Amino acid sequence: MSANYSKEKLTLVNELIYEIKVKEAMSKKVIFFKENVTFREIQLKLKEKKISGVPILNNVKNIIGIVSIDDVITAFDKGYVDNKITDYMSRDVITIPQNISVVSAIHKLERFGVGRLPVTESSDSKRIVGVITLSDILNRLLVVVQSIAEKVEDKEIKNTQISYDLIKRIVKKRLRFEVKGDDFDNAGRVASITKKYFQNLGISKDIIRRIAIVCYEAEMNICLHSLGGSMIIEVDNNNTVIYAHDKGPGIPDVKLALKPGFTTASEKIRALGFGAGMGLPNIKHYADKLEIKSSLETGTELKAIINLGVKNEIK
Amino acid sequence: MKLSKIIDKCRLEKIVFCTECEVKTGYCGDLMSDVMAHAETNCIWITIQAHKNSIAVALIKDIKSIIFTNNVTLDKEVIKKAKEEKINLLRTNKDSFTVCGEIYCMMEVETAKD
Repeated sequence: MSANYSKEKLTLVNELIYEIKVKEAMSKKVIFFKENVTFREIQLKLKEKKISGVPILNNVKNIIGIVSIDDVITAFDKGYVDNKITDYMSRDVITIPQNISVVSAIHKLERFGVGRLPVTESSDSKRIVGVITLSDILNRLLVVVQSIAEKVEDKEIKNTQISYDLIKRIVKKRLRFEVKGDDFDNAGRVASITKKYFQNLGISKDIIRRIAIVCYEAEMNICLHSLGGSMIIEVDNNNTVIYAHDKGPGIPDVKLALKPGFTTASEKIRALGFGAGMGLPNIKHYADKLEIKSSLETGTELKAIINLGVKNEIK
Repeated sequence: MKLSKIIDKCRLEKIVFCTECEVKTGYCGDLMSDVMAHAETNCIWITIQAHKNSIAVALIKDIKSIIFTNNVTLDKEVIKKAKEEKINLLRTNKDSFTVCGEIYCMMEVETAKD
């Protein structure tokens, strides 16, 4: 992970180690001791926590020294393991300020051959706010890389490979359907055909699902509530536009009709599982944009728009 | 869980059985718009609505199997359409609540194994 590689090639990781600050990567939970302990006590703690060294802090959490596993081994070797650490600990401590990028931490860890660096509040402070190791840096890097990867993935999903030629064709040729009133047997036909048509374009499944639901509900509305009408499905730039027109009788109160659960369906229609008052609310929910114009003289015109999520506008 | 296992354990009558499939989730509902809005793709759908529109909804939602409960009558047109569209139709004299319960328990056991 040496930053020296940056001279050869500036990779994402090289870039990131300059961007990530020590305070983002460090562990805030610092295991520390005051200076009135013995090497043996420290050895037990190191063993328990599986760490290689601890900073020694005074009452205001300023660092005054450090004891590493090497120091403990030396203490065993030289026979002062049960002595207080005060006289033996290294007072020349290498620390790193929290607001510096982790690349400096990597340099320091390498240069001094240590496994961990106590992190100070600032470059002119001795107050310890955390501790940083190579594995902390690696963990943070992975988190950042992961979140970058997720963003890229999201983008990819939104811009799934779409057959531009096919879309160009559908732009020219729109789908048009007659929908009869009260014709339950054929209801669902518009949605099925439209769904198959869009599947061939390679548009993401989620968007096709939404197009199909909007088509289905609009089609059912014509079938259940009107004297018949027609539907047009076309692609305009980046959008699918679904038009549903009927010959009447029109919706007296569009706002009320958009309310979930509101229905004017007959008992017969409801027995078939329709007329739950969810049709228009479903359309509103699944379309990116919905316009309804209704008159008691000429009938209802519905226009629903669903964005196809194509990156470049189709010309 | 394999569809055939559900058919076997719940003793469902096979009206149309064209494709074995993996069932991960289910949905129970008799209101078309509700199923349209909430059923998950590739789920098993439990309903009493046995008409051609059920097949249309299944098709649009990519539902591969439907269980009709309460022994509802299915007419030839529905069966023909299901065969054409390769949708499995199953039937039982149990009610939706019971069938859902049975399948739910089976799925719980299945997930516990994983």
